[in-house]
Amino acid sequence: MKKLRIDLQALIFLLPFLIVYVLFTIWPMIKGAQMSFYKWTLIRKMKYVGWDNFQRMFHDDQFWAAVWHSTIFVFLTTPTMIVLAIALALIANRKSKLQKLYRSAFFLPSILSVSVASYLGLFMFQPYTGFINGILHGLGILAEGKEIFWLTEPSLAWIAVAALTLWWTVGFNFILYLSAMQEIPDEIYEAASLDGAAKGQMFWRITLPMMNSITRMILMLQIIASYKVFMQIYIITGGGPLDSTRPIIQYIYQSGFKKNDLGYAATMSYMLFAILLVLSIIQYIVNNRKEAA
Amino acid sequence: MKWVYRIISVIAACVFLVPLVWMLVVSIKQEGMKVSGLFDWFTPPYSLAVYGQIISGTKLMQWVWNSFFVAGVVTVLTVLVAAMAAYALSKIPFRFKAIMFFFILAGLLVPGEATIIPLYQVAKDMHLLNSYQGLIVTALASPMAVIVLKGFFDGIPNDLIESVQMDGGGVWKIFAVIMLPLTRPALASMAILTFIGSWNNFLWPFLSLTNDKLFTLPMGIPTLMSQYSEDYVKPMVVNTLSSIPIIILFVIFERQIIKGISLSGIKG
Repeated sequence: MKKLRIDLQALIFLLPFLIVYVLFTIWPMIKGAQMSFYKWTLIRKMKYVGWDNFQRMFHDDQFWAAVWHSTIFVFLTTPTMIVLAIALALIANRKSKLQKLYRSAFFLPSILSVSVASYLGLFMFQPYTGFINGILHGLGILAEGKEIFWLTEPSLAWIAVAALTLWWTVGFNFILYLSAMQEIPDEIYEAASLDGAAKGQMFWRITLPMMNSITRMILMLQIIASYKVFMQIYIITGGGPLDSTRPIIQYIYQSGFKKNDLGYAATMSYMLFAILLVLSIIQYIVNNRKEAA
Repeated sequence: MKWVYRIISVIAACVFLVPLVWMLVVSIKQEGMKVSGLFDWFTPPYSLAVYGQIISGTKLMQWVWNSFFVAGVVTVLTVLVAAMAAYALSKIPFRFKAIMFFFILAGLLVPGEATIIPLYQVAKDMHLLNSYQGLIVTALASPMAVIVLKGFFDGIPNDLIESVQMDGGGVWKIFAVIMLPLTRPALASMAILTFIGSWNNFLWPFLSLTNDKLFTLPMGIPTLMSQYSEDYVKPMVVNTLSSIPIIILFVIFERQIIKGISLSGIKG
Protein backbone atom coordinates (compact mmCIF):
# COMPACT_ATOMS: atom_id res chain seq x y z
CA MET A 1 0.00 0.00 0.00
CA LYS A 2 2.76 2.40 0.96
CA LYS A 3 4.56 1.68 -2.29
CA LEU A 4 1.46 2.51 -4.27
CA ARG A 5 1.06 5.75 -2.39
CA ILE A 6 4.61 6.78 -3.23
CA ASP A 7 4.12 5.87 -6.88
CA LEU A 8 1.00 7.99 -6.90
CA GLN A 9 2.78 10.94 -5.35
CA ALA A 10 5.52 10.73 -7.95
CA LEU A 11 2.94 10.48 -10.70
CA ILE A 12 1.20 13.65 -9.56
CA PHE A 13 4.48 15.54 -9.76
CA LEU A 14 5.36 14.03 -13.11
CA LEU A 15 1.93 14.35 -14.66
CA PRO A 16 1.96 17.98 -15.86
CA PHE A 17 5.26 17.43 -17.61
CA LEU A 18 4.26 14.07 -19.01
CA ILE A 19 1.05 15.47 -20.47
CA VAL A 20 2.71 18.23 -22.47
CA TYR A 21 5.69 16.03 -23.31
CA VAL A 22 3.61 13.17 -24.66
CA LEU A 23 1.10 15.38 -26.47
CA PHE A 24 3.53 17.81 -28.12
CA THR A 25 6.79 15.88 -28.45
CA ILE A 26 6.19 12.12 -28.39
CA TRP A 27 2.85 12.05 -30.18
CA PRO A 28 4.05 14.31 -33.05
CA MET A 29 7.05 11.97 -33.45
CA ILE A 30 4.67 9.05 -33.91
CA LYS A 31 2.28 11.06 -36.05
CA GLY A 32 5.21 12.15 -38.21
CA ALA A 33 6.18 8.54 -38.83
CA GLN A 34 2.62 7.84 -39.95
CA MET A 35 2.42 10.94 -42.14
CA SER A 36 5.60 10.07 -43.97
CA PHE A 37 3.85 7.04 -45.45
CA TYR A 38 0.90 9.05 -46.75
CA LYS A 39 0.04 11.61 -49.33
CA TRP A 40 -1.10 14.17 -46.79
CA THR A 41 -2.24 17.71 -47.56
CA LEU A 42 -2.94 20.71 -45.35
CA ILE A 43 -6.63 19.80 -45.44
CA ARG A 44 -6.56 16.05 -44.84
CA LYS A 45 -4.97 12.65 -45.14
CA MET A 46 -5.21 11.55 -48.79
CA LYS A 47 -3.87 8.06 -49.36
CA TYR A 48 -1.26 5.52 -48.28
CA VAL A 49 1.79 5.65 -50.53
CA GLY A 50 4.21 3.26 -48.81
CA TRP A 51 7.86 4.24 -49.17
CA ASP A 52 7.21 6.71 -52.01
CA ASN A 53 8.04 9.80 -49.96
CA PHE A 54 11.34 8.28 -48.87
CA GLN A 55 12.29 7.25 -52.40
CA ARG A 56 11.42 10.68 -53.65
CA MET A 57 13.55 12.26 -50.93
CA PHE A 58 16.62 10.21 -51.81
CA HIS A 59 16.33 11.31 -55.43
CA ASP A 60 15.39 14.91 -54.68
CA ASP A 61 18.34 17.09 -55.68
CA GLN A 62 16.75 20.14 -54.10
CA PHE A 63 16.55 18.37 -50.76
CA TRP A 64 20.20 17.35 -50.82
CA ALA A 65 21.14 20.85 -51.95
CA ALA A 66 19.32 22.19 -48.90
CA VAL A 67 21.13 19.69 -46.65
CA TRP A 68 24.37 20.86 -48.22
CA HIS A 69 23.48 24.53 -47.61
CA SER A 70 22.79 23.86 -43.95
CA THR A 71 26.11 22.01 -43.80
CA ILE A 72 27.91 24.99 -45.34
CA PHE A 73 26.34 27.15 -42.68
CA VAL A 74 27.54 24.77 -39.95
CA PHE A 75 31.12 24.81 -41.28
CA LEU A 76 31.03 28.57 -41.77
CA THR A 77 29.73 29.52 -38.36
CA THR A 78 30.90 26.85 -35.88
CA PRO A 79 34.68 27.31 -35.89
CA THR A 80 34.41 31.09 -36.30
CA MET A 81 31.91 31.21 -33.45
CA ILE A 82 34.29 29.39 -31.09
CA VAL A 83 37.34 31.46 -32.05
CA LEU A 84 35.39 34.71 -31.79
CA ALA A 85 33.84 33.77 -28.45
CA ILE A 86 37.27 32.96 -26.99
CA ALA A 87 38.77 36.17 -28.38
CA LEU A 88 35.97 38.27 -26.92
CA ALA A 89 36.26 36.49 -23.59
CA LEU A 90 39.99 37.27 -23.54
CA ILE A 91 39.18 40.94 -24.11
CA ALA A 92 36.51 41.07 -21.41
CA ASN A 93 38.65 39.10 -18.96
CA ARG A 94 41.50 41.65 -18.98
CA LYS A 95 41.50 44.07 -16.09
CA SER A 96 40.48 47.44 -17.46
CA LYS A 97 38.20 50.34 -16.73
CA LEU A 98 36.00 49.29 -19.62
CA GLN A 99 35.73 45.65 -18.55
CA LYS A 100 32.04 45.84 -17.73
CA LEU A 101 31.27 47.79 -20.87
CA TYR A 102 32.95 45.13 -23.00
CA ARG A 103 30.92 42.41 -21.39
CA SER A 104 27.64 44.23 -21.95
CA ALA A 105 28.55 45.26 -25.48
CA PHE A 106 29.41 41.74 -26.63
CA PHE A 107 26.29 40.27 -25.13
CA LEU A 108 23.78 42.99 -26.00
CA PRO A 109 22.97 41.86 -29.58
CA SER A 110 22.01 38.41 -28.21
CA ILE A 111 18.85 39.73 -26.62
CA LEU A 112 17.48 41.17 -29.85
CA SER A 113 14.55 39.38 -31.37
CA VAL A 114 15.58 37.20 -34.29
CA SER A 115 13.66 39.37 -36.74
CA VAL A 116 15.14 42.61 -35.44
CA ALA A 117 18.64 41.23 -35.85
CA SER A 118 17.86 39.81 -39.28
CA TYR A 119 16.34 43.02 -40.64
CA LEU A 120 19.19 45.01 -39.23
CA GLY A 121 21.47 42.70 -41.21
CA LEU A 122 19.33 42.94 -44.32
CA PHE A 123 19.42 46.76 -44.35
CA MET A 124 23.06 47.04 -43.40
CA PHE A 125 24.19 44.79 -46.22
CA GLN A 126 22.19 46.55 -48.96
CA PRO A 127 24.22 47.94 -51.86
CA TYR A 128 24.11 51.73 -52.51
CA THR A 129 22.11 52.55 -49.39
CA GLY A 130 23.49 50.06 -46.87
CA PHE A 131 25.62 50.89 -43.88
CA ILE A 132 28.36 48.32 -44.47
CA ASN A 133 29.19 49.53 -47.97
CA GLY A 134 28.98 53.07 -46.57
CA ILE A 135 31.64 52.24 -44.00
CA LEU A 136 33.83 50.58 -46.62
CA HIS A 137 33.52 53.70 -48.81
CA GLY A 138 34.23 55.92 -45.84
CA LEU A 139 37.39 54.00 -44.93
CA GLY A 140 38.50 54.04 -48.53
CA ILE A 141 38.51 50.23 -48.76
CA LEU A 142 35.84 50.30 -51.42
CA ALA A 143 36.51 52.67 -54.31
CA GLU A 144 34.10 55.49 -55.05
CA GLY A 145 31.27 54.36 -57.30
CA LYS A 146 31.89 50.68 -56.66
CA GLU A 147 29.41 48.55 -54.75
CA ILE A 148 29.56 45.11 -53.16
CA PHE A 149 26.37 43.17 -53.82
CA TRP A 150 26.33 41.21 -50.57
CA LEU A 151 22.95 39.60 -50.96
CA THR A 152 22.82 38.68 -54.63
CA GLU A 153 26.18 36.93 -54.93
CA PRO A 154 25.95 33.42 -53.37
CA SER A 155 29.32 33.37 -51.64
CA LEU A 156 28.90 36.93 -50.37
CA ALA A 157 25.37 36.14 -49.20
CA TRP A 158 26.84 33.35 -47.07
CA ILE A 159 29.35 35.74 -45.57
CA ALA A 160 26.63 38.28 -44.80
CA VAL A 161 24.40 35.68 -43.14
CA ALA A 162 27.29 34.18 -41.18
CA ALA A 163 28.54 37.60 -40.04
CA LEU A 164 25.09 38.60 -38.86
CA THR A 165 24.66 35.27 -37.05
CA LEU A 166 27.99 35.62 -35.29
CA TRP A 167 27.24 39.18 -34.23
CA TRP A 168 23.80 38.23 -33.01
CA THR A 169 24.51 34.93 -31.20
CA VAL A 170 28.15 34.89 -30.10
CA GLY A 171 27.13 36.52 -26.79
CA PHE A 172 26.01 33.28 -25.17
CA ASN A 173 29.18 31.39 -25.96
CA PHE A 174 31.23 34.44 -25.01
CA ILE A 175 29.65 34.40 -21.54
CA LEU A 176 30.30 30.66 -21.16
CA TYR A 177 33.98 31.15 -22.01
CA LEU A 178 34.30 34.22 -19.85
CA SER A 179 32.98 32.43 -16.78
CA ALA A 180 35.17 29.40 -17.56
CA MET A 181 38.22 31.69 -17.74
CA GLN A 182 37.35 33.31 -14.46
CA GLU A 183 37.15 29.91 -12.79
CA ILE A 184 40.76 29.08 -13.60
CA PRO A 185 42.66 29.72 -10.34
CA ASP A 186 45.17 32.60 -10.42
CA GLU A 187 47.76 30.38 -8.68
CA ILE A 188 48.21 28.35 -11.83
CA TYR A 189 49.14 31.45 -13.82
CA GLU A 190 51.36 32.69 -11.02
CA ALA A 191 53.21 29.39 -10.87
CA ALA A 192 53.61 29.42 -14.64
CA SER A 193 54.97 32.95 -14.69
CA LEU A 194 57.49 32.03 -11.95
CA ASP A 195 58.64 29.29 -14.29
CA GLY A 196 59.14 31.97 -16.91
CA ALA A 197 56.18 31.20 -19.15
CA ALA A 198 55.18 33.93 -21.61
CA LYS A 199 51.60 35.19 -21.88
CA GLY A 200 51.02 33.46 -25.18
CA GLN A 201 52.32 30.17 -23.82
CA MET A 202 50.02 30.42 -20.84
CA PHE A 203 47.05 30.81 -23.16
CA TRP A 204 47.88 27.73 -25.20
CA ARG A 205 49.11 25.57 -22.31
CA ILE A 206 46.75 26.59 -19.50
CA THR A 207 43.70 28.64 -20.52
CA LEU A 208 42.70 26.69 -23.59
CA PRO A 209 43.15 23.16 -22.15
CA MET A 210 41.32 24.16 -18.96
CA MET A 211 38.31 25.15 -21.04
CA ASN A 212 38.23 21.91 -23.00
CA SER A 213 34.96 20.64 -21.63
CA ILE A 214 33.17 23.90 -22.32
CA THR A 215 34.56 23.93 -25.87
CA ARG A 216 33.24 20.42 -26.47
CA MET A 217 29.83 21.39 -25.18
CA ILE A 218 29.67 24.54 -27.32
CA LEU A 219 30.88 22.65 -30.37
CA MET A 220 28.11 20.10 -29.98
CA LEU A 221 25.33 22.61 -29.32
CA GLN A 222 26.54 24.92 -32.06
CA ILE A 223 26.62 22.24 -34.74
CA ILE A 224 23.11 21.10 -33.91
CA ALA A 225 21.75 24.64 -33.64
CA SER A 226 23.35 25.61 -36.94
CA TYR A 227 21.77 22.69 -38.76
CA LYS A 228 18.41 24.08 -37.70
CA VAL A 229 19.07 27.54 -39.11
CA PHE A 230 16.13 29.12 -40.87
CA MET A 231 14.92 32.56 -39.87
CA GLN A 232 18.01 34.72 -40.51
CA ILE A 233 18.47 33.19 -43.94
CA TYR A 234 14.77 33.44 -44.72
CA ILE A 235 14.73 37.17 -43.98
CA ILE A 236 18.13 38.17 -45.31
CA THR A 237 18.36 36.19 -48.53
CA GLY A 238 15.01 34.42 -48.70
CA GLY A 239 17.07 31.30 -49.49
CA GLY A 240 18.35 32.99 -52.65
CA PRO A 241 19.94 33.97 -54.91
CA LEU A 242 18.26 31.13 -56.86
CA ASP A 243 17.87 28.88 -53.80
CA SER A 244 21.64 28.85 -53.34
CA THR A 245 21.38 29.51 -49.59
CA ARG A 246 18.11 27.70 -48.86
CA PRO A 247 18.54 25.59 -45.69
CA ILE A 248 16.77 22.31 -44.81
CA ILE A 249 14.09 23.84 -42.62
CA GLN A 250 13.06 26.28 -45.32
CA TYR A 251 12.75 23.51 -47.89
CA ILE A 252 10.68 21.45 -45.45
CA TYR A 253 8.45 24.44 -44.78
CA GLN A 254 7.99 25.22 -48.46
CA SER A 255 7.22 21.61 -49.36
CA GLY A 256 4.68 21.33 -46.57
CA PHE A 257 2.95 24.66 -46.61
CA LYS A 258 3.57 26.18 -50.07
CA LYS A 259 3.34 22.97 -52.06
CA ASN A 260 0.70 21.53 -49.77
CA ASP A 261 2.55 18.29 -49.12
CA LEU A 262 2.76 17.64 -45.38
CA GLY A 263 3.53 13.95 -45.92
CA TYR A 264 6.72 14.71 -47.82
CA ALA A 265 7.63 17.48 -45.37
CA ALA A 266 7.26 15.03 -42.47
CA THR A 267 9.51 12.55 -44.29
CA MET A 268 12.25 15.14 -44.66
CA SER A 269 11.79 16.17 -41.03
CA TYR A 270 12.62 12.58 -40.10
CA MET A 271 15.75 12.77 -42.20
CA LEU A 272 16.77 15.97 -40.38
CA PHE A 273 16.13 14.18 -37.10
CA ALA A 274 18.29 11.26 -38.25
CA ILE A 275 21.15 13.61 -39.22
CA LEU A 276 21.06 15.33 -35.84
CA LEU A 277 20.81 12.01 -34.04
CA VAL A 278 23.89 10.64 -35.80
CA LEU A 279 25.79 13.84 -34.93
CA SER A 280 24.77 13.55 -31.28
CA ILE A 281 25.88 9.92 -31.14
CA ILE A 282 29.23 10.64 -32.79
CA GLN A 283 29.75 13.48 -30.35
CA TYR A 284 28.86 11.26 -27.41
CA ILE A 285 31.28 8.54 -28.48
CA VAL A 286 34.11 11.01 -29.10
CA ASN A 287 33.59 12.65 -25.72
CA ASN A 288 33.51 9.38 -23.82
CA ARG A 289 36.61 8.10 -25.52
CA LYS A 290 38.49 11.28 -24.59
CA GLU A 291 37.41 11.05 -20.99
CA ALA A 292 38.40 7.40 -20.77
CA ALA A 293 41.83 8.13 -22.18
CA MET B 1 51.74 45.99 -26.58
CA LYS B 2 49.21 47.19 -24.05
CA TRP B 3 47.96 49.76 -26.52
CA VAL B 4 47.51 47.19 -29.23
CA TYR B 5 45.25 45.21 -26.92
CA ARG B 6 43.35 48.31 -25.99
CA ILE B 7 42.77 49.39 -29.57
CA ILE B 8 41.62 45.92 -30.60
CA SER B 9 39.28 45.83 -27.61
CA VAL B 10 37.72 49.17 -28.44
CA ILE B 11 37.30 48.25 -32.10
CA ALA B 12 35.60 45.00 -31.08
CA ALA B 13 33.21 46.84 -28.78
CA CYS B 14 32.41 49.26 -31.61
CA VAL B 15 31.65 46.43 -34.02
CA PHE B 16 29.11 45.12 -31.54
CA LEU B 17 27.57 48.45 -30.60
CA VAL B 18 27.63 50.50 -33.80
CA PRO B 19 24.85 48.57 -35.57
CA LEU B 20 22.61 49.24 -32.57
CA VAL B 21 23.55 52.91 -32.51
CA TRP B 22 22.90 53.08 -36.25
CA MET B 23 19.48 51.51 -35.74
CA LEU B 24 18.67 54.06 -33.05
CA VAL B 25 19.88 57.09 -34.95
CA VAL B 26 18.25 56.16 -38.24
CA SER B 27 14.99 55.65 -36.38
CA ILE B 28 14.92 59.29 -35.27
CA LYS B 29 15.89 60.76 -38.64
CA GLN B 30 13.39 62.63 -40.69
CA GLU B 31 11.89 60.53 -43.44
CA GLY B 32 13.05 61.04 -47.00
CA MET B 33 16.47 62.48 -46.17
CA LYS B 34 19.21 61.78 -48.67
CA VAL B 35 22.23 59.92 -47.37
CA SER B 36 25.32 60.44 -49.49
CA GLY B 37 28.19 60.03 -47.03
CA LEU B 38 28.86 57.87 -44.00
CA PHE B 39 28.22 60.64 -41.50
CA ASP B 40 24.91 61.69 -43.06
CA TRP B 41 23.43 58.74 -41.21
CA PHE B 42 24.09 60.41 -37.92
CA THR B 43 23.36 64.08 -38.57
CA PRO B 44 20.11 66.02 -37.90
CA PRO B 45 17.33 66.85 -38.69
CA TYR B 46 15.81 64.43 -36.23
CA SER B 47 12.13 63.72 -35.83
CA LEU B 48 10.01 61.44 -33.73
CA ALA B 49 7.00 61.71 -36.02
CA VAL B 50 7.41 58.20 -37.39
CA TYR B 51 7.33 56.75 -33.88
CA GLY B 52 3.83 58.18 -33.47
CA GLN B 53 2.74 56.81 -36.83
CA ILE B 54 4.02 53.32 -36.05
CA ILE B 55 2.61 53.21 -32.52
CA SER B 56 -0.86 54.38 -33.53
CA GLY B 57 -1.00 53.04 -37.07
CA THR B 58 0.20 49.44 -36.65
CA LYS B 59 -0.27 46.53 -34.30
CA LEU B 60 3.40 46.59 -33.28
CA MET B 61 2.82 47.48 -29.63
CA GLN B 62 0.21 44.72 -29.42
CA TRP B 63 2.86 42.29 -30.72
CA VAL B 64 5.41 43.51 -28.21
CA TRP B 65 2.87 42.80 -25.51
CA ASN B 66 1.99 39.41 -27.04
CA SER B 67 5.67 38.45 -27.10
CA PHE B 68 6.14 39.36 -23.46
CA PHE B 69 2.91 37.71 -22.44
CA VAL B 70 3.59 34.44 -24.24
CA ALA B 71 7.25 34.32 -23.21
CA GLY B 72 6.34 35.15 -19.61
CA VAL B 73 3.64 32.50 -19.29
CA VAL B 74 5.74 29.90 -21.11
CA THR B 75 8.70 30.62 -18.82
CA VAL B 76 6.79 30.34 -15.55
CA LEU B 77 4.92 27.20 -16.58
CA THR B 78 7.91 25.49 -18.21
CA VAL B 79 10.08 25.93 -15.15
CA LEU B 80 7.32 24.92 -12.75
CA VAL B 81 6.36 21.82 -14.70
CA ALA B 82 10.02 20.83 -15.15
CA ALA B 83 10.83 21.43 -11.49
CA MET B 84 7.94 19.22 -10.39
CA ALA B 85 9.05 16.38 -12.65
CA ALA B 86 12.67 16.85 -11.60
CA TYR B 87 11.67 16.65 -7.94
CA ALA B 88 9.89 13.34 -8.47
CA LEU B 89 12.88 11.96 -10.38
CA SER B 90 15.33 13.17 -7.79
CA LYS B 91 13.74 12.64 -4.41
CA ILE B 92 10.65 10.41 -4.58
CA PRO B 93 11.59 6.70 -4.53
CA PHE B 94 8.88 5.43 -6.90
CA ARG B 95 9.04 2.29 -9.00
CA PHE B 96 10.06 2.46 -12.71
CA LYS B 97 12.14 5.53 -11.97
CA ALA B 98 14.97 4.49 -14.28
CA ILE B 99 12.56 3.91 -17.15
CA MET B 100 10.93 7.27 -16.57
CA PHE B 101 14.30 8.97 -16.49
CA PHE B 102 15.34 7.50 -19.83
CA PHE B 103 11.96 8.28 -21.35
CA ILE B 104 12.52 11.95 -20.54
CA LEU B 105 16.23 11.89 -21.37
CA ALA B 106 15.37 10.61 -24.85
CA GLY B 107 13.50 13.85 -25.43
CA LEU B 108 16.83 15.70 -25.51
CA LEU B 109 17.51 14.04 -28.84
CA VAL B 110 14.29 15.25 -30.47
CA PRO B 111 14.75 18.72 -31.94
CA GLY B 112 11.56 20.75 -32.04
CA GLU B 113 12.16 21.56 -35.69
CA ALA B 114 11.99 17.89 -36.62
CA THR B 115 8.49 17.46 -35.19
CA ILE B 116 7.03 20.76 -36.32
CA ILE B 117 5.18 19.43 -39.36
CA PRO B 118 3.32 16.68 -37.47
CA LEU B 119 2.90 19.11 -34.56
CA TYR B 120 0.95 21.33 -36.94
CA GLN B 121 -1.38 18.42 -37.70
CA VAL B 122 -1.68 17.51 -34.00
CA ALA B 123 -2.46 21.11 -33.02
CA LYS B 124 -4.97 21.36 -35.83
CA ASP B 125 -6.73 18.21 -34.62
CA MET B 126 -6.87 19.69 -31.12
CA HIS B 127 -8.13 23.08 -32.43
CA LEU B 128 -5.07 24.84 -31.04
CA LEU B 129 -4.10 26.75 -34.17
CA ASN B 130 -4.48 30.52 -34.04
CA SER B 131 -4.69 30.87 -30.26
CA TYR B 132 -2.54 31.90 -27.33
CA GLN B 133 -3.10 28.45 -25.86
CA GLY B 134 -1.62 26.89 -28.99
CA LEU B 135 1.46 29.07 -28.70
CA ILE B 136 1.89 28.32 -25.02
CA VAL B 137 1.06 24.66 -24.34
CA THR B 138 3.09 23.38 -27.28
CA ALA B 139 6.20 25.04 -25.80
CA LEU B 140 6.05 23.74 -22.23
CA ALA B 141 7.83 20.40 -22.42
CA SER B 142 11.55 20.95 -21.84
CA PRO B 143 13.37 17.68 -21.09
CA MET B 144 16.56 19.74 -20.84
CA ALA B 145 15.13 21.74 -17.93
CA VAL B 146 14.01 18.54 -16.18
CA ILE B 147 17.42 16.91 -16.49
CA VAL B 148 19.34 20.02 -15.42
CA LEU B 149 17.08 20.70 -12.44
CA LYS B 150 17.24 17.06 -11.39
CA GLY B 151 21.00 17.47 -11.24
CA PHE B 152 20.61 20.40 -8.87
CA PHE B 153 17.96 18.69 -6.74
CA ASP B 154 20.24 15.66 -6.38
CA GLY B 155 22.71 17.92 -4.61
CA ILE B 156 20.27 18.81 -1.85
CA PRO B 157 21.03 16.71 1.24
CA ASN B 158 18.34 14.26 2.31
CA ASP B 159 18.72 15.33 5.96
CA LEU B 160 16.94 18.57 5.13
CA ILE B 161 14.05 16.66 3.62
CA GLU B 162 13.85 14.30 6.59
CA SER B 163 13.72 17.21 9.00
CA VAL B 164 10.66 18.58 7.22
CA GLN B 165 9.10 15.11 7.26
CA MET B 166 9.71 14.89 11.02
CA ASP B 167 7.66 18.04 11.42
CA GLY B 168 4.86 16.31 9.51
CA GLY B 169 5.48 18.07 6.19
CA GLY B 170 4.47 16.22 3.01
CA VAL B 171 5.90 16.22 -0.49
CA TRP B 172 4.33 19.56 -1.41
CA LYS B 173 5.85 21.23 1.58
CA ILE B 174 9.27 19.76 0.81
CA PHE B 175 8.94 20.93 -2.78
CA ALA B 176 7.90 24.47 -1.86
CA VAL B 177 10.01 25.05 1.25
CA ILE B 178 13.23 23.21 0.42
CA MET B 179 13.63 22.30 -3.24
CA LEU B 180 12.56 25.52 -4.90
CA PRO B 181 14.22 28.05 -2.57
CA LEU B 182 17.52 26.14 -2.43
CA THR B 183 17.87 25.91 -6.19
CA ARG B 184 16.82 29.45 -7.01
CA PRO B 185 19.92 30.23 -9.16
CA ALA B 186 19.31 27.11 -11.25
CA LEU B 187 15.63 27.91 -11.63
CA ALA B 188 16.52 31.46 -12.67
CA SER B 189 19.00 30.13 -15.17
CA MET B 190 16.39 27.84 -16.75
CA ALA B 191 13.86 30.68 -16.70
CA ILE B 192 16.20 33.05 -18.54
CA LEU B 193 17.04 30.49 -21.21
CA THR B 194 13.38 29.59 -21.64
CA PHE B 195 12.38 33.23 -21.90
CA ILE B 196 14.96 34.00 -24.57
CA GLY B 197 14.00 30.85 -26.46
CA SER B 198 10.35 31.80 -26.45
CA TRP B 199 11.12 35.43 -27.24
CA ASN B 200 12.87 34.25 -30.40
CA ASN B 201 10.55 31.45 -31.33
CA PHE B 202 9.75 32.03 -34.94
CA LEU B 203 8.92 28.76 -36.66
CA TRP B 204 5.89 27.73 -34.66
CA PRO B 205 4.08 31.11 -34.62
CA PHE B 206 4.96 31.39 -38.30
CA LEU B 207 3.18 28.11 -39.05
CA SER B 208 0.35 28.22 -36.57
CA LEU B 209 -0.87 31.84 -36.60
CA THR B 210 -2.85 33.64 -39.28
CA ASN B 211 -4.69 36.12 -37.05
CA ASP B 212 -2.45 39.18 -36.84
CA LYS B 213 -3.87 40.18 -33.44
CA LEU B 214 -2.03 37.19 -31.96
CA PHE B 215 1.33 37.66 -33.69
CA THR B 216 4.51 37.73 -31.66
CA LEU B 217 7.37 39.99 -32.74
CA PRO B 218 9.44 37.51 -34.75
CA MET B 219 6.32 36.80 -36.79
CA GLY B 220 4.86 40.33 -36.88
CA ILE B 221 7.93 42.34 -37.82
CA PRO B 222 8.35 40.74 -41.28
CA THR B 223 4.72 41.51 -42.19
CA LEU B 224 5.36 45.21 -41.49
CA MET B 225 8.76 45.39 -43.13
CA SER B 226 7.46 44.13 -46.45
CA GLN B 227 5.30 47.27 -46.74
CA TYR B 228 8.14 49.76 -46.26
CA SER B 229 10.22 50.54 -49.29
CA GLU B 230 11.02 54.28 -49.35
CA ASP B 231 13.84 54.46 -46.81
CA TYR B 232 15.12 52.94 -43.55
CA VAL B 233 13.41 55.19 -41.06
CA LYS B 234 10.20 53.19 -40.61
CA PRO B 235 11.99 49.81 -40.46
CA MET B 236 14.40 51.12 -37.86
CA VAL B 237 11.57 52.60 -35.80
CA VAL B 238 9.95 49.16 -35.84
CA ASN B 239 13.24 47.56 -34.83
CA THR B 240 13.86 50.08 -32.06
CA LEU B 241 10.36 49.91 -30.61
CA SER B 242 10.58 46.12 -30.61
CA SER B 243 13.91 46.16 -28.81
CA ILE B 244 13.53 48.88 -26.19
CA PRO B 245 11.51 46.81 -23.67
CA ILE B 246 13.90 43.86 -23.79
CA ILE B 247 16.94 46.15 -23.59
CA ILE B 248 15.48 47.79 -20.48
CA LEU B 249 14.92 44.33 -18.97
CA PHE B 250 18.49 43.43 -19.83
CA VAL B 251 19.89 46.54 -18.18
CA ILE B 252 17.91 45.82 -15.00
CA PHE B 253 18.69 42.09 -14.82
CA GLU B 254 22.09 41.99 -16.48
CA ARG B 255 23.86 40.39 -13.54
CA GLN B 256 21.27 37.66 -13.13
CA ILE B 257 21.18 36.99 -16.87
CA ILE B 258 24.95 36.66 -17.14
CA LYS B 259 25.02 34.44 -14.04
CA GLY B 260 22.18 32.32 -15.35
CA ILE B 261 23.97 31.66 -18.62
CA SER B 262 27.28 30.86 -16.88
CA LEU B 263 25.46 28.40 -14.66
CA SER B 264 23.95 26.57 -17.63
CA GLY B 265 27.50 26.01 -18.87
CA ILE B 266 28.72 24.48 -15.65
CA LYS B 267 25.98 21.85 -15.52
CA GLY B 268 25.91 21.22 -19.24
